[in-house]
Amino acid sequence: MKYVILIQSNPQPWGHPTSDYLPAYQHQSQETRDRANADFEDMLGELGERGELVGGEALGDPATSRLFRWADGDRVVSDGPYAEGKEHLAGFFLIDVESQERAEQIAEAFSGPGETVELRPVMGGGGDVD
Amino acid sequence: MATSTEVDDTAYDEIWREEHRHVVAALARRHGDRGDCEDAAQQAFLAAAESWPSEGVPDRPRAWLIRVASRRLIDQVRADAARREREQRSGLQEHALHGGATEDDHPSEHEETAVADDTVELMLRCCHPSLSPTSRVALTLRAVGGLSTREIAAGFLVPESTMAQRISRARATLSRTGARFSSPTVDELPERITAVRHVVSMIFTEGHQRSSGDEVVDEAFAREAIRLARALHAADPADTENAGLLALLLLTHARTPGRVDGAGRLVPLGQQDRARWDPALIVEGVRLLQECLPAGEVGPFQLQAAVAAVHAEAADVEATDWPQILVLYRMLDRVAPSASTTLALAVATAEVEGPGAGLDVLARIEGDRWHRPHAVRGHLLRRLGDARGAREAFATAARLTRSIPEQRYLNRLLTEMGDDEHDPA
Repeated sequence: MKYVILIQSNPQPWGHPTSDYLPAYQHQSQETRDRANADFEDMLGELGERGELVGGEALGDPATSRLFRWADGDRVVSDGPYAEGKEHLAGFFLIDVESQERAEQIAEAFSGPGETVELRPVMGGGGDVD
Repeated sequence: MATSTEVDDTAYDEIWREEHRHVVAALARRHGDRGDCEDAAQQAFLAAAESWPSEGVPDRPRAWLIRVASRRLIDQVRADAARREREQRSGLQEHALHGGATEDDHPSEHEETAVADDTVELMLRCCHPSLSPTSRVALTLRAVGGLSTREIAAGFLVPESTMAQRISRARATLSRTGARFSSPTVDELPERITAVRHVVSMIFTEGHQRSSGDEVVDEAFAREAIRLARALHAADPADTENAGLLALLLLTHARTPGRVDGAGRLVPLGQQDRARWDPALIVEGVRLLQECLPAGEVGPFQLQAAVAAVHAEAADVEATDWPQILVLYRMLDRVAPSASTTLALAVATAEVEGPGAGLDVLARIEGDRWHRPHAVRGHLLRRLGDARGAREAFATAARLTRSIPEQRYLNRLLTEMGDDEHDPA
């Protein structure tokens, strides 16, 4: 079963790993932050080793995005960010796992204070209506 | 040569990190399939983990690893070639789908059994309980099916490297538990055979439901599953569940040409053009069932095959013998209860005793995240005249399914209902 893990975050300044630039992490000791980063790397390594990682990318500053819209029958192009919300899409992972439980376990490991991790199922071409 | 007898896990990890890619690169210069090279390298590291603690780390670990890995790779290539040659000689590959239908080059019974035994032996090892069901499927396709890692990856829509990692991890797990080169014991055998049948059925479903979008790959999966089911049946014709599995796959595969319409949309069983079903596969499936059903204990695959046979033998959907199907699903509900059996039982009950009775059975399914019960509830409510309830159920099912074709089918139903049916005021 494939899932995408979406990291919704707002690092200031924009940077990766996002936790290095989040206020929620600032008051933590360097040691705690290093451990969190190491845990994250371990989980990534485990995903690769188990053949569960399909892909993933870290995304650039939302202000650098270009937006393509239609208004009154014309294409309107403008600069980002797309949403003025509290958080932006900062990166994603595509995973392929045995169960919803395993997907939730992974998403949980990717979550931290100050950001939201969204787990969404991926649609596929198979199926049956018999 | 021994420099140290103290080799801990960290030391191995370090050697693995430093040497792994060099070993694989050295092998890949002489052998094309990178996945095979990765596997061989992995095996060499496992051999190192076994012998270095007692014999010490060799002076040139990389040369040692490359030598051992090359030997493994050559053994693997030889074994593959020998198996392929044997299969070709017995003509099994050509007749994987329609059996040995031609007279001239039909393999002798002895040869056929020898190949089948060999195939089943490998399958038993690939279905070790230490592996997850999906790992068993991947390893069986690679080790027994002879599909390339690239083809398997294409079937599951993952990158080749991800699939290669899954396969070599499965192999490493087997090596670690010592299961890779040993057969199951007599005590383990019944459970293992059940696991093998389950894996064959999963491979078939993957191909039959066309999940990869690549018809050639999906056809290869279904064909491979049928070949494996034939091998299981040939190796032990007295096992009625082996016969049942083969019959189920043949009878289901027979309907493949009618499953999708010209526009690529899924067609429900009741609306399929039965003239497009493959009569040769139906005849063979029904014959297998007639032989195995009276023979002894009736298991889940025989029962599902029997249902498929009842559908296959009905000239059109109106002629379907639903009371017979209801009896079969009640038996299945006793021998192998599961949520999908309850769902099928609900459908059959509705056909015989009415939609209300079907809904009562459906209520037994726990949880509400699975889309299929919602879809069935929608159909039953619609027949009861509850258009609003039906629409809600179809909408929930459409929201929950992970299949794009199913979602399109359900959304299409919703649109049709919106036009034709209105709630009584």
